[in-house]
Amino acid sequence: MRKFQILLGIALFPVSLLFGQTKEITGNVVDAKDNTPLAGVTITSRGPKATAVSSSNGNFSIKVGPKTSVLHFSYIGYEEKDIAIGQAGEPIQVKMETSQKALNEVVVVGYGKAFKKEVTGSISKLISKDVENYPTPSFESAIQGKAPGVVVQSGSGKLGQAIQVNIRGISSISAGSQPLYVVDGLPVISNSLSDATNDDTNPLADINPNDIESIEILKDASAAAIYGARAANGVVLITTKKGKSAKRTVIELNTSSSWSNPARQRSFLNAKQYVDVVEQSAVNDGTYDFNNNVSGFPSLDSAINYYKFGFYEPVLDQFALGTDWRNHAVNTNWQAQSLHKNAPSSQINLSATGGNDKTRFFASGFYNMQDAIVVNNKFSRYGGRFNLDHNVSDKLVFGINLAVDRSELDKVTNDNSFSTPGQLVAQLPISPLTDPNTGLLNKNTLYPNGLYDALYDFDKQVTFRTIGNAYGNLSILPSLSFRSEFGADILSLNETQFAGKESIDGAGIGKGTIILSQSTSFNTNNYFSFTPQINDHNKITAVLGMSYLQNDLLHSFANGQDYPSDAIKNLNGATNITSASSTNNRYTFLSYFLRGNYSLLDRYLLSLSIRTDGSSRFGPSNRYGWFPAASAGWVLSEEEFLKNKTALSFLKLRASYGLTGNSEIGESQFQSLYAVTNYPGLPGFSPVQLANPNLKWEKSVQSDLGLEFGFFKNRISGELDYYNKHTTDLLLNTNIPLSTGYASIYQNLGTINNHGFEAAVNTKNLEGAFKWSTSINIGYNKNRVGNIGGQIIESPDQLQRAVNGEAIGSFYMQQFAGVDKQTGDALYLDANNKTTSDYNQAVRRVVGKYTPDYTGGLTNSFSYKGFDLNVFFYFVSGNSIYNSAGVYMSDGFANYNFDNQTTDILHAWKKPGDVTNVPRTGVNFPTGNSNSTRWLYNGSYIRLKNLTFGYSIPSSLASSLKIASARVYIGAVNLLTFTKYPGDPEVNTYTVGRVAGGEDFYTIPQAKTVSIGLNVKF
Amino acid sequence: MKNTSYIIACCLILLFPACNKKLDVLPQNNVTPSQIKTSADVEALLFGAYTLWQSYGGFGEQFILVPDLLASDSQVNFIGTYQDYQAVQHKKTVSTNSIPANLWANSYNIINITNTVLDKLSIVDTADRATIEGEAKFIRGVTYFELVGFFGKPYSDGQASANPGVPIVLAPTYAYDSLKNRPSRATVSQVYAQVLSDLQIAIAKLPSANVNFRADQFSAKAMLSRVYLSMGDYVNAALQANDVINSGNFTLTGSYDKAFNNASNSSEDVFAIQQSTQSNAGTSNQGLTTFYSPQPAGRGDAQIDPLYFNFFENADFRGGNVTQGVSIAGYQGYYPNKWAKFYKAIPVVRLAEMYLTRGEANLLAGGAPAGGTSPVDDINMVRMRSNASQLSTVTLQDFIDERMRELGFEGDRLWTLKRLQMDISGLGYDDNLLVLPIPQSEIDVNKNLVQNPGY
Repeated sequence: MRKFQILLGIALFPVSLLFGQTKEITGNVVDAKDNTPLAGVTITSRGPKATAVSSSNGNFSIKVGPKTSVLHFSYIGYEEKDIAIGQAGEPIQVKMETSQKALNEVVVVGYGKAFKKEVTGSISKLISKDVENYPTPSFESAIQGKAPGVVVQSGSGKLGQAIQVNIRGISSISAGSQPLYVVDGLPVISNSLSDATNDDTNPLADINPNDIESIEILKDASAAAIYGARAANGVVLITTKKGKSAKRTVIELNTSSSWSNPARQRSFLNAKQYVDVVEQSAVNDGTYDFNNNVSGFPSLDSAINYYKFGFYEPVLDQFALGTDWRNHAVNTNWQAQSLHKNAPSSQINLSATGGNDKTRFFASGFYNMQDAIVVNNKFSRYGGRFNLDHNVSDKLVFGINLAVDRSELDKVTNDNSFSTPGQLVAQLPISPLTDPNTGLLNKNTLYPNGLYDALYDFDKQVTFRTIGNAYGNLSILPSLSFRSEFGADILSLNETQFAGKESIDGAGIGKGTIILSQSTSFNTNNYFSFTPQINDHNKITAVLGMSYLQNDLLHSFANGQDYPSDAIKNLNGATNITSASSTNNRYTFLSYFLRGNYSLLDRYLLSLSIRTDGSSRFGPSNRYGWFPAASAGWVLSEEEFLKNKTALSFLKLRASYGLTGNSEIGESQFQSLYAVTNYPGLPGFSPVQLANPNLKWEKSVQSDLGLEFGFFKNRISGELDYYNKHTTDLLLNTNIPLSTGYASIYQNLGTINNHGFEAAVNTKNLEGAFKWSTSINIGYNKNRVGNIGGQIIESPDQLQRAVNGEAIGSFYMQQFAGVDKQTGDALYLDANNKTTSDYNQAVRRVVGKYTPDYTGGLTNSFSYKGFDLNVFFYFVSGNSIYNSAGVYMSDGFANYNFDNQTTDILHAWKKPGDVTNVPRTGVNFPTGNSNSTRWLYNGSYIRLKNLTFGYSIPSSLASSLKIASARVYIGAVNLLTFTKYPGDPEVNTYTVGRVAGGEDFYTIPQAKTVSIGLNVKF
Repeated sequence: MKNTSYIIACCLILLFPACNKKLDVLPQNNVTPSQIKTSADVEALLFGAYTLWQSYGGFGEQFILVPDLLASDSQVNFIGTYQDYQAVQHKKTVSTNSIPANLWANSYNIINITNTVLDKLSIVDTADRATIEGEAKFIRGVTYFELVGFFGKPYSDGQASANPGVPIVLAPTYAYDSLKNRPSRATVSQVYAQVLSDLQIAIAKLPSANVNFRADQFSAKAMLSRVYLSMGDYVNAALQANDVINSGNFTLTGSYDKAFNNASNSSEDVFAIQQSTQSNAGTSNQGLTTFYSPQPAGRGDAQIDPLYFNFFENADFRGGNVTQGVSIAGYQGYYPNKWAKFYKAIPVVRLAEMYLTRGEANLLAGGAPAGGTSPVDDINMVRMRSNASQLSTVTLQDFIDERMRELGFEGDRLWTLKRLQMDISGLGYDDNLLVLPIPQSEIDVNKNLVQNPGY
């Protein structure tokens, strides 16, 4: 209590000066760059001590002793300034310059803010400029390559698809591996709620990137552990734009139009090449048959002719539909049929920012529509945001952040369905598009013609999303405040699917589905912040609070079929409702947290935090988990021995160690469960899950060592980090003997280690009229699975698995070893590393992995007068890509198919002596047709991710146009790609996986997009 | 003001220990074992076993399609893109093939249900107890019979007491015990003994007719006749088949096609699996109709082998009970009408089979025929319905061929050839490749299991 009185005394000290003989100085503080008022600048006088703070319009008033001649101005992010003063009277105008010490910036941390220079954890910060006006639906695409150690991968060029984000590697096998996303303090839903049989979609696309003020990515345990049980995969804090008190309201208009095309396409055979390969296959089969005396043909010619006329050419006749395939009368490019040319998109965004010293607001509205490069895939959305802060009194601030939006996504079926446009490439180039006999779209194709699905089917999901929270912040004492936040994330999704009678999926009868999902998250955070003013040498801040989160997910669907016609697409047209169901699930988290920071002499920094989480996801015996973290920093540049080294602007060493958790395994996993069964007339139960009452949190212990530096007034600055994240007690869905009646049980088993380094360097190469700056970042991660016992955890196609001592998602398959030049047989490596043509003798082994070793980005920015140019390259290296459609599109017909082939098949073995790595083609004596490294490729690539050239009109012109500023730009995304992969290297048919990834199965390539845009401020 | 703030703040913090209760969230879409409390709950659990039999890992597809793919010659050609099914047909199955794994998993799931039901018999109302016990044992016995057929060497090879069968699990799994839950394979004869015991008790406990197409005494007798036939116990096989025929509960349908694609049991179904639009073996990637029905309804991946038609006289209705169509991969071919329609009952045992079994068993047993009907009359009974010519004498080969004609695509051929020690698709009846591999995933987690030879 005595201490409290002292603190109170310090806080009230300036008041006592009121009673001395004083003079009053008034004035106004503005930003030297744009003359916007600066609120919260601390003004102090030397001599008899006095302190004042500028108000929201920049005005200040301070009463100082009569002899005081200098006022000291300080403000975060700005150079400190001393101003000489005379007598009271004339108000003084103070212009403050932005600090050269970029490291003085403020970063958002869990439940608060901190100065970057005092932070002892590893946090990557991105700002609005990084994400706004990027021509993709959600912000994750825009941060790809901008933060070291954050690997962002979108699965294809389909729009609205989920995007995989891995922070410092994948640290779980069976539980979720995606980061926690927190918008303005509220954890939001980020996992797909749409049709589970199709690709995951991305609920984060409901956040308008242009509303984002900053994105902080909490990477190490010190930064993330305040989010405890949900932080093991990292935390992404999104802060939306807030109102600012200003003389005038700033209206900002952003609008752009874009056109997209496939970034890279595979090369398929044309009609002539296809016929040639087919004819060669007849020769191959005939020769093989004759040489091996399979059917006992009297001569080689008779054998070849048998296959040519008796087997292959009838197939060509069948699909040519009477057209002259011998002279290539038809040469259909089916790939082109699946893709759009110059797919358009446009977006418009209007916002207003303003306010006064009592009330500040940010309001925005947006609309955008986008066509994908693949047919029948569109995304559009509109919505708005309103953020308001109001000072009820000097002690109480109240505010809301509210965003509503509606988005509409037209989807195509997943990569593994006949009806998906991506699989049209399998059709024969000799198959006419239009059947000459009927004049209609060809129905007599090798596979059912997916263009019918493109014409008659649709799959549309409409999402309504409201993300909002309200807060009150009460200053109980100058050093103690209490903040309470209540928020809700309400996502309502309805998805309507229809497959017409003519289409493959319609099965001649017409099929329809409706899916309704509703996710409601309620969240409250309540915490005290304690910032006692002890003295200049000792600074303490502390946060203590609690959080409660409750999510309810309702899901229902109905399927119907037998439609009278395609005219009615709603379920009321279905004369048979074949199935319908509804389910609901709830999870809850109750958490308490405490964090303390201590800074001594601005040099020695210490931070301690602890959080405890309780969750409905675990049984009573392991319901609560404890997640502590500690970190320390040493600002060497503040030390006397370095203080006068002019070259050195900033140098900080930091280290952290802590524990985070993962609980993303869905609900009720610790219990035994019986599911409902619906045998006709006999409603029943069947066991689906066996209890593990001891199930507990997956734990990640992470240590991090970092160095932050700045040289030459921070013209060179950067950050280096080494980390080691060791995850134990994996929530592993382990296989148990099926003879128990169950297939698997969740157990805490196994470890994953991720360690690596991250580096980011920013340089200002040229300053002055012509400016040139460079920033480069690179992340390296090594992932190792350990101690999973004998568990075999595989991808659905069994080509990838988690293997002890190897990276998660290792490709595990037979090693292809070329072609026997005498026979044309495919060769594989057997157990003794000898070549064999017998696939069954070949052994499966780890042959690669889909996770990259190195990822990073290089940005060069140039500006001269009104012109600016931004060039951003992204690279990925050390990963493999498997073309799992190779067994169909590049098998030389060996899998008893006649699919059109990729052009690599032109190099196939034809006669003894041919040296090639493409085996003999042919249906009847197949070779090389099974999965092997034959279709595994180096997945490294470098991509010119973004190129933007802009021009801002001079301010004189702007003011004559009665606007504040205007900029026009032209931009391009994915303009150039350098890779050895024969398709687009940025593909993943599994969208969001852990063990499974890096597979290309007729996957749609990424888009190459060119945009023009305009930005005007009024 | 200050005091109020403190009070508000403290209240907010203190209020939330009440949240602790919020952490207890009961599953809302499933029940927990503690919720199985009444007689009706135990019955519901038993009904779950019927659903699993209906699924594609049971009679909904694999119990019927897989043996026919193994005995594919002159019967069926799998021309679809699913490589696992192709491998089964071409006897190139590997231990990681999904089909044996699925058969195994589904069957032991069923066995665990029946074991749980039997364990909870004491809470079943006394009036229903015998029936529930009989059904559980019927389902368990038949499931073990299917398992030992797929994963063990045929009983007919004379080594049944040495050959490994499948693990016999008779206790329910309530918790996982990594040491206890690793059963070894019992021998083929031990599994047969279990099958016989289960079916014999089922016969004793089951009523002569049951509701909702649930199993009754004659379902069990019909299946028991199959078991005896496969053991070469012709006397008993004939007796059981005779009991079914003489029950008076069943009559042959007027024409052959009426025995299939019915909404529920036909007059000759001794036991059949029911399906509906909401409850079925699958309509897009799984289920008999998906594979056996051509585009656009099904995938048409399983086509009739052209040699199949050689079995029939021109007049035989059964030879023409087929449809021409095209598969999803573009291949023209013929398809059996038996599985043409979705959501229809799947015959598991038909009365026609009982005639053929009684006739063949009587022929092979010699002496006075059980039921007093001569083998030639039994076979003619079946042939007459389909306008096939009447035989004056009958041989074993006639019965073998008649079973192909009458029971084609119903999963009979493999077992007939195996029990009579006849070559199958060019392989000996006891060839290693005609026995499915123990799923690799099962061997990975249960080191007590020994893989079958040849894998």
